[in-house]
Amino acid sequence: MILETNIYNKALIADIQVKEANLTVSDNFKNEMAALIDKGNKYIIVNFEKVMYVDSSFLGALVSSLKYAIANKAEIDVAGLNKDVAGLFQLIRLNKAFNIHASAVEAAINKS
Amino acid sequence: MATSKKILLVDDNPLVLEMMGRALNKEGFYCMKAISADAATELLKQERPDIILSDYHMPDVDGFSFRQNLIAIPEYKDIPFMFLTSEEDNDLMLKGINLEAVDYILKDTPLPVVVSKINNFLSTVREQHERTLKELSVAAMALNLHSVPQKLPVINGFEVDFWHRSYQNYPGGDFIDFITIDERYTFIVLGDVMGKKWGAWYFSFGFLSYIRAAVRICISEGNFSTKNILQKINDVVYHDPVVNDVLSSLSLVMLDAAESVITYSGAGDLPLLYYNSVDGNLQQIGSSGMLLGMLQDGDFDEVTLKLNAGDRFFMFTDGIIDFEGTSGKKTDYNTFVEAVTPYLNRPFSEFKRSDFLQEKTTDHIDDCSLIYLQKTI
Repeated sequence: MILETNIYNKALIADIQVKEANLTVSDNFKNEMAALIDKGNKYIIVNFEKVMYVDSSFLGALVSSLKYAIANKAEIDVAGLNKDVAGLFQLIRLNKAFNIHASAVEAAINKS
Repeated sequence: MATSKKILLVDDNPLVLEMMGRALNKEGFYCMKAISADAATELLKQERPDIILSDYHMPDVDGFSFRQNLIAIPEYKDIPFMFLTSEEDNDLMLKGINLEAVDYILKDTPLPVVVSKINNFLSTVREQHERTLKELSVAAMALNLHSVPQKLPVINGFEVDFWHRSYQNYPGGDFIDFITIDERYTFIVLGDVMGKKWGAWYFSFGFLSYIRAAVRICISEGNFSTKNILQKINDVVYHDPVVNDVLSSLSLVMLDAAESVITYSGAGDLPLLYYNSVDGNLQQIGSSGMLLGMLQDGDFDEVTLKLNAGDRFFMFTDGIIDFEGTSGKKTDYNTFVEAVTPYLNRPFSEFKRSDFLQEKTTDHIDDCSLIYLQKTI
């Protein structure tokens, strides 16, 4: 499993368990996200706290998950991006597609 | 810096694990160590080794079952696997070979022999792999499929060039094209299908076809707006069930050679780097567009710039700004800015030979593409 999940307030926090979020885990990540959305979770916070590096395959899987979430009337936010990953999100405008939070718990608390 | 070969060692005896690990480390291997098959499975989720060396006899899940479990998982099935054993029982070895274990090493084998056995095994696997790759590449060539141009366009008053390396010599998701409309207008296309290797490469042709078609249709209708062209491509990709689950970035530049003006729109791409020869400034030219096919409205914009003689442009994909640092992989746009700065008043051919790009060739971690445009007169 790439994701470890916990319910917090109204959110499902999905912690990414790998240091390098790359091609070798992107398909599994996408499948696990689809399963979480299929189970009816409507607000998922993907927590990148443990992630040091993200490649474009993984970002593709994340964006694909967002499209699937939107089609199923669910929301995906991201949290815990390190400086490099946050920089990359901004460079390719993913900050316009995702709400980005400093921490997953903070995001869950603030979700009304 | 060449990456050392990663070995996953699996043995229930901590002493063997430690001794073997240390010995292999000294020989330049990077060792991941697991005390059980379960622990090895956990490690595999985080990092993919080049080879697995596993003990036969282990409590709970033994070496055979571990191998059987791996064969059942597509992403682990192809990792070369060797049994490490003190057994000399021929039946056991045969059983191991039948499990596509391919080879075994006796634990009391002298270390230099172990190392050369591992190296031989890895080079056999690599040769086989390269043969397959070559056959596939020959097939792709026969079909005349290229995701980068075979020749450079000749544009009056401008020099255009590019540098491209694919990930581990696989064709990948990056694509480059120069679409010459007439003597005045040329479109420069740089895209990156998110993913690597064959899957991304396959889809790069789908995207390139849409882009070529959209450019030609818009131009034939008198529509010279890169923003409108991107939105048209986005509409098609968004609604097409074949590619709408695959995402791609795109930098689209239209060069008007007669007016020395470029118009640029981007979709989830990295900002272009622009060198203004008049004031000597280097600046990022960003765009607002989202990745192709991500949203119905891609929120595209358009930047227009008048170029003076000596001005230069660099367009590139994320492989150019990914690098392996001491603390792991990183992505940093500024590494490219720093690398290219000393070459701003020198021919692009010199930058192509720079240590920065040469290191990308030997140790890169993704497809890398860089397009260069200069106004010469």
